[in-house]
Parts: sequence; structure tokens; C-alpha cells
Amino acid sequence: MEFLLNFVERTGAKAVGWWNTSYGVLAFLSEVLSTLARPATWNRATLDTIVKQIYFTAVQILHIYLIYVLAISWVIITITLSTARDVGLFDAATEMIIRVLLLELLPFLTALLIALRSGSAINTEVALMKVNNELDALSHCKVEPMQFEFLPRIAGGIASVIGLTVLGGVLTLFLAYLSIYGLSASGFQAFSNTISTVFSVGVLIGLGVKCVFFGLAVTTLPMAAGLETPKKLFMVPVSVLRGMMRVFLALVLIEVLSLTLEYI
Amino acid sequence: MKSLADEQTAQVSPDLPLRANLSARENIALIPLYQKHFDAAEASRQAQALLEQLGFASIADKRDPDMNPSERFAAKLARALILRRPRLVIERPGAMLYDIHYPVFLRGLAARYEGKPEKWEVFDFDWNRPLYS
Repeated sequence: MEFLLNFVERTGAKAVGWWNTSYGVLAFLSEVLSTLARPATWNRATLDTIVKQIYFTAVQILHIYLIYVLAISWVIITITLSTARDVGLFDAATEMIIRVLLLELLPFLTALLIALRSGSAINTEVALMKVNNELDALSHCKVEPMQFEFLPRIAGGIASVIGLTVLGGVLTLFLAYLSIYGLSASGFQAFSNTISTVFSVGVLIGLGVKCVFFGLAVTTLPMAAGLETPKKLFMVPVSVLRGMMRVFLALVLIEVLSLTLEYI
Repeated sequence: MKSLADEQTAQVSPDLPLRANLSARENIALIPLYQKHFDAAEASRQAQALLEQLGFASIADKRDPDMNPSERFAAKLARALILRRPRLVIERPGAMLYDIHYPVFLRGLAARYEGKPEKWEVFDFDWNRPLYS
């Protein structure tokens, strides 16, 4: 009987914990959206901060990102072409590369890179700001943390995921063409036909929406985790751990949902 | 304490730190930038002018961890003054200026400053009263 009571108690506590966390994240997200919708938010100072965030999140890592895309794309393209040749499906190789790399792997890996680099930094910074009372100090000065600290990071994160995915995609297409046709222009017609077949309007919208959700996940979840941190310095690593786990789960969930909607 | 935290009062308090990743100038310039909607250059100029008036122009580019207690206090004071609120309350100065004879330091800053509010209120522990005599 005691075992049963303990089990019910533990399950209940976990359910309440999950509910509180989900409610906190959704409340934060709704605050973000309402701030986004307010015309007063979009002043020069906010735009300047967004540009800075895009610089920190995307431009600073551009060279590393392009090398990383080049390496991954080269490996995947080589494997795909070799396998397609072996099983006699070489004609379908271009479409396979576009579907696997451009639509699925690149956006996911881009979001993962930004989560590891910027998401963890955002989580730590927000948690430290909370612990050190810096958010209270900003509020005392009537500089709203949502407008000055949070919104620019979210907008910068979304813009960075979209921008880097597009750049990585162009590089991958270029590499794929070179791998299949070499330096000859003879395959250009067939290659561009395949691209236009795969990238229908629906697929493009789906890709855009997925990137926006990835961008939201890698920024809002670490922020929400940072804001939940109790005012104790030793809780900062715990906050980062929780935030990054949530980001990972959210990225996987978004990817699985997008695959389900596209293929099932 | 709750009465101090109203919108008419600018506080300099150990509980209201500077934003750690911004310089002293940037911390102060946030207020004209976000509240009064000045452009970045003008907000920065106002912040620099205030620091110069207080005699701390040299800390403009320093961030919180690089400042000594007096410099950190001056930056916090400038941030409170640029709010242009009717009341200025300095709360527990001994907790922020623990390595100097702070009543003299506060009087020196008040003498340099020419704007409003003219009267600064200091909230300190009763046992520190002899320090002000």
C-alpha cells in the first residue's frame, strides 16, 4: 500500500513539475509574441540590438559553419552517390541528396550548432542575470528585459537559423552538382529540373516554418530555463542542463513532426 | 523598503547591479536610449557627459568586474541620476563603498553634480550615524 502511495505521489509530483514547466514556457512565449506585436517594440534601439545578435549568432561562426557544411555534405553526397550507383538508382541521387541533406539534415544540424553555441550561452547568461538581480535592475530603470535582452536574441536566433540554412543549402547544391556532373555545364538543365520538382511552394513553406520553430526552440527554451533559475549561484549549471535537454527534445520533436507531415 | 521602489525614486542599491556585459557608459546610455528614444550616439554622449561631471570619465569603457567599488558606485549613481526622477535614494552605501570613508566620498560627488534632484537621501544603518558627523 505504501509503495502504491509513493508511486502516486512521485507520478503526481512529476506531472505537476511538467505542467509548471510547460506553462512557464508557454507563458514566456505568449509574452514574446505580444511584445513582437506591439509597434512600440520596433524602435531603432531594438533593431540595432537584433543586428548585433545576428552578428554574434551567425556571422561570427560563418567560416566554421561553412567548413562544417562542406565536410558533412561532401561525406553524405559521396555515400549517397556511391550507394545509388551500386543499386542502380543513380538517376534518383540528386533528389535523394536534396531531400536528405537540404530538407532534413542541414536545418537540423544548423539548429543544433546554434543551440550548442548560442543557446547554452543564452541559458547561462539569463540564469546569471536572474541570480545577480540584473533583470530587476533593468526593470527598475524601466528598460524592459523582454525588449532589450530577450526579443533581440530570439529574432537573431530565428534569422540566424534561416540564414545559415539557406547559405549551407546553396553550398550543398553547388557541391552536389560538382560531385555528379563535374565542371561540365551539361547537367545544369536536369539538375535544375530536379530542384524545381523537389522545392514546391508547399515544401518551401514547410522548410521555412521548420526553421522558424528551430530558431524559436534554440532561443526561447534556454531563456525560459534561465528565468526559472532560483536565486542561487549553484543552480546555474542545473538550469543550463535542463534548458539544453529541453532544446534537444524540442529539436527532435520538430524534426519528427515535420517528417511525419511530409512523408506519412 | 517597499516604499523606496516606486516610480518616483531612483535607487542606488547593492541589490541593483550594473549589467555585467555592458560598459559603464553603455549601462547609463540604456536609459536615454530606451526611455527617451534618443539615438545611440546621443545617448552615449549624455552618459559620457554625466560621468565626466561626476569626475569618473575614465571608467566609461570599463565593465562591472573591472571596476573598483568607488568606480562601480559612480556608474550606478550616474545610471540613477540619468533617470531624472524626483527622489534619489542611496541605499546601504557601506555595502557598496566598503573600502573608503564613504560619507566624504558621497559629499564630494554631490558637490560635483549640478542637476536634479538636488537633495540625495541616504538610507544607512543607525550605527553608522557617527560616520556622517
